[in-house]
Amino acid sequence: MTELPFGDAFFGLSWLDAIIRIVIIVLLMTLVVVYLTYGERKVVARFQMRLGPTRTGPIGLLQGFADAIKLLIKEDIRPRNADRWVFEFAPYLTFIPVFLVLVALPFARDWGVRNLALGMFFVFAVLGLNIVGVLMAGLGSGNKYALLGGVRAAAQMISYEIPLVVALLAVAMVAGTLDLNAIVSMQDTRPFILIQPLAFVIFFTAMLSELHRAPFDIPVAESEIVGGYFVEYSGIRWSMFQLAEYASLWAFSIFGSAIFLGGWQFPFGDDWGWGWQLALTLIKSLIMIMLIFWVRATLPRLRMDQLMSFCWKALIEVSFALLLVNGLFLYYGWPEPILAAVNWAGAILFLGGIYLRAVRKPSTKNLVGSYKHAEVPNQ
Amino acid sequence: MTTEVLWWIFAVAIVAVSAGVVFARTVIHSAIFLILSLAGVGAMYLFLTIEFIALVQFLIYGGAVTVLILLALMLTRMASSGEPEPTTGVQAPFGALVALGLMATLIGVAVSTAWPGDLGQNAVAVSIETIGEAMFQDFGAPFMITGALLLVAFIGAIVIARQEDDE
Repeated sequence: MTELPFGDAFFGLSWLDAIIRIVIIVLLMTLVVVYLTYGERKVVARFQMRLGPTRTGPIGLLQGFADAIKLLIKEDIRPRNADRWVFEFAPYLTFIPVFLVLVALPFARDWGVRNLALGMFFVFAVLGLNIVGVLMAGLGSGNKYALLGGVRAAAQMISYEIPLVVALLAVAMVAGTLDLNAIVSMQDTRPFILIQPLAFVIFFTAMLSELHRAPFDIPVAESEIVGGYFVEYSGIRWSMFQLAEYASLWAFSIFGSAIFLGGWQFPFGDDWGWGWQLALTLIKSLIMIMLIFWVRATLPRLRMDQLMSFCWKALIEVSFALLLVNGLFLYYGWPEPILAAVNWAGAILFLGGIYLRAVRKPSTKNLVGSYKHAEVPNQ
Repeated sequence: MTTEVLWWIFAVAIVAVSAGVVFARTVIHSAIFLILSLAGVGAMYLFLTIEFIALVQFLIYGGAVTVLILLALMLTRMASSGEPEPTTGVQAPFGALVALGLMATLIGVAVSTAWPGDLGQNAVAVSIETIGEAMFQDFGAPFMITGALLLVAFIGAIVIARQEDDE
């Protein structure tokens, strides 16, 4: 990979330096994941007028560690008709792409594992690979629920990858580079969310889908297909899936906050030192994570056909239109405020359209059971 | 030196998993081996310092094409017992013939052509700007025609796949 200069290597050795940096990031990631599981339970509990975990440690702060220990000492069960090697390797394969993404993320000025010239492209190229682990889990379990979950996950992730990538490309056009560190340092006076709000809306929606978060948690819908592709897993293998899920949640949030919210740069920049930069990165990623939890606690799950038609009939068209508009503006060199205004108009129109559609839907108030779904489009 | 050692490790691994594609007992195992093989080829591109092609290889072949193969297999080939269907058939000798012919042609072409950046010359690191300019300026028309062709194929596939009973 083409690497750009990135501070001095630890001990002057490139490979040792990479290993030390990766170990630091992975340790941080483990801690973050433990507290993300706790945080999600606590936040969602508050949304539902409950208290969440309170017993383990002060206000339940040690709950994540207790859960981790319980999972590690649980029996590792493999179903008899599972495809042995496919079943056993799938959890580890889901984790590899997340691990690779962490390599390219910028945490502070000139601090990350590696600064790649094609950083943004690297992130979505390796993220595409995590479908493979999910599919292998679905195929190898020898369970029809797992198979259904795997098929759903594959269809959903392949579809939503397109708007995700196109929305990010629109931002890359404005930035003029794919180097994540350069993109962040460009946002010293204004984060890109102010110039490209529509891209952020598309990115956020597609990200929820790629992460299997509600309202797009169809592959793991416990009320429909029990647990989706990891229904047969237990103990340490199941916790590998959870680790990969929460780690990718975190990695995506840092990625998104670096591209749209200004990462370590906005609003303090170089002046306040690397401690502030790291804190800014983490705070901004926490804002993204909080938004994701909020959406999860608020919106009900979509149906499979609604999910697919939303992607193919709304998101992809809007994202290509955005690409076209950005291209026009950049080619003719029209000023940036007008580009921002057009994008804001687009974002408001898009969200307003979704809102109006939801409001103008005929009421289902006094209908019961399947009559509520009387309006299923005739396929 | 390190790169050379890694290159040989990957070369052996790619040949091994490619053999796995051919000799695996079930189609699904073949497809999984195919993913590994294509990802290994992507890693080889990294050693050749063409990282853009390597990432495209991961994105398109690792993440999309093979997943579509797996998805199609999941929807069509899973027997009701949960056991995947084995790969046997009368077409095997013909397949072998085609594969050997293709291999002979590719090796012949690769050996007899003088490539830029051959052994003894320095490897050229191609930046993404160069690729972008070549694609959208120097070869803009072929690029657009290819795009139109893909669009037509795409619409055709949808029309064929969505044929209803009364049409």
